Amino acid sequence: MEKGFMYWIVYILQQYWPYFIKGMFVTLWISILGTCLGYVLGFLLGLVQSTPVAKEDGLGKKIFYKIIKPFCAIFIGVFRGTPMMVQAMVIYYGLKTSGVNISPFAASIVVLTLNTGAYMAETVRGGIISVDKGQLEGGFAMGMSHTLTMFTVVLPQAFRNIIPEMVNMFLTNLKMTSELNVIGVAELYFTTKTAAGTYYRYFESYIICAIIYLILCTIFTKALSTIEKKAFAPKDYELAVEYSSTAE
Amino acid sequence: MTENKNNDVLKVEHLVKSFGTHEVLKDLDFSIKPKEVVCIIGSSGSGKSTLLRCINGLETKTGGSIYYHGNKIGSNLRELNKFRTQVGMVFQSFNLFNNMTVLQNCMSGTTKVLKIKKEEAKFLAIKYLRQVGMAPYINAHPAQLSGGQKQRVAIARALTMQPEMLLFDEPTSALDPEMVGEVLAVMKELAQNGLTMMIVTHEMTFARDVSTRTMFMDNGYIVEDDTPQNIFHHPINPRMKEFLKRYIDDLDKN
Repeated sequence: MEKGFMYWIVYILQQYWPYFIKGMFVTLWISILGTCLGYVLGFLLGLVQSTPVAKEDGLGKKIFYKIIKPFCAIFIGVFRGTPMMVQAMVIYYGLKTSGVNISPFAASIVVLTLNTGAYMAETVRGGIISVDKGQLEGGFAMGMSHTLTMFTVVLPQAFRNIIPEMVNMFLTNLKMTSELNVIGVAELYFTTKTAAGTYYRYFESYIICAIIYLILCTIFTKALSTIEKKAFAPKDYELAVEYSSTAE
Repeated sequence: MTENKNNDVLKVEHLVKSFGTHEVLKDLDFSIKPKEVVCIIGSSGSGKSTLLRCINGLETKTGGSIYYHGNKIGSNLRELNKFRTQVGMVFQSFNLFNNMTVLQNCMSGTTKVLKIKKEEAKFLAIKYLRQVGMAPYINAHPAQLSGGQKQRVAIARALTMQPEMLLFDEPTSALDPEMVGEVLAVMKELAQNGLTMMIVTHEMTFARDVSTRTMFMDNGYIVEDDTPQNIFHHPINPRMKEFLKRYIDDLDKN
């Protein structure tokens, strides 16, 4: 007798659920760690990319940026211009061949970090450009250095502007980790592939996989947008009445 | 080379600024004495704002020298930043830091550049915010204020640095007519308190009544540089006469 769709779904879940859960957590860890480290890398790259070098700057600073800027540009170009799956293969097997023994899990985090960093660099640069130039000048006019104004005035505003894009990037990464199955990291997609192969039930296995991804993404979308709204809700200010009596 | 015989706060020599092939400032020479209130008038594009921006280094000058109390302001960033703490600037677009409250704005320069202690910085901030009538708004963010309020906070912020001199770059040009008055009143009080000021403005009555000296700029030159009395009542230059005609109604009314 032919067994139905629901039968297989239940059967696979019964047999395989610990692996799905484990895969899900691996996916979560890779995406959270990789994305967060990628944010940091992206901020550094974006900052370097958008630091102008003036005639008046010291020789050390000039040389540093002369060397590091093209390097950043090449890095960003390469990582935005190649598929992450290929990057994973090249990095993982590249390291293996050159004698560095790295676990697929660690390699996954490295690849995701570099990939996110490259995209994030451009996002950060865009965020910095989006802040009005007058903000910098306001700092300069009080004798603030470029770095000080950048960190206290421009970056906080740029950060605020790119949060939606950062959230977006995390959600994309959550799904993109599935590509990392090519280097054998036991994340959700890899686990599903194994389950499907074990029972020869491809359709049902991938339906389960899809549902888990969907649940994860939905939870994170809701949670992150709630946090964003809470954190940046326009706040009313209170008049400081203690100072209102003597205006002059 | 200059000797500071005559106690000038600021001395500008042969100042030239070009944007590409377009020469905006053409060999300007002048000096500012303590407590002078100099209004710079002239039509748009005559180089007034560029002059102020060259003085405090927001634009890199093409040629010439600027001296502050006889010391040449070089291109060294540390020197320039020190100079900027003593000669502040107020902008047309306010340039208050949008990520900070009014109080934080007014404490940013003192705590981060002058390294003054927090309590003292807060005391200074409140003192100058009171002077401009904005002390009750210390917890507000710039986005929650009107243009006139923002400009008054910007002036207070510049004052917290306790500068010797302030440069005003069209401080009322972005404001509704109703709000212009409140900002001009604050500036008038500063002038009366003896602050040295250079003000680029289109407010002719203010220039006539408050300044101790008025410069008329045209096409990159300082065409007239005299007392407001002479400038407004006995203009010599034909361009100046033509320029004033447009404001004649305004000047007559007040």
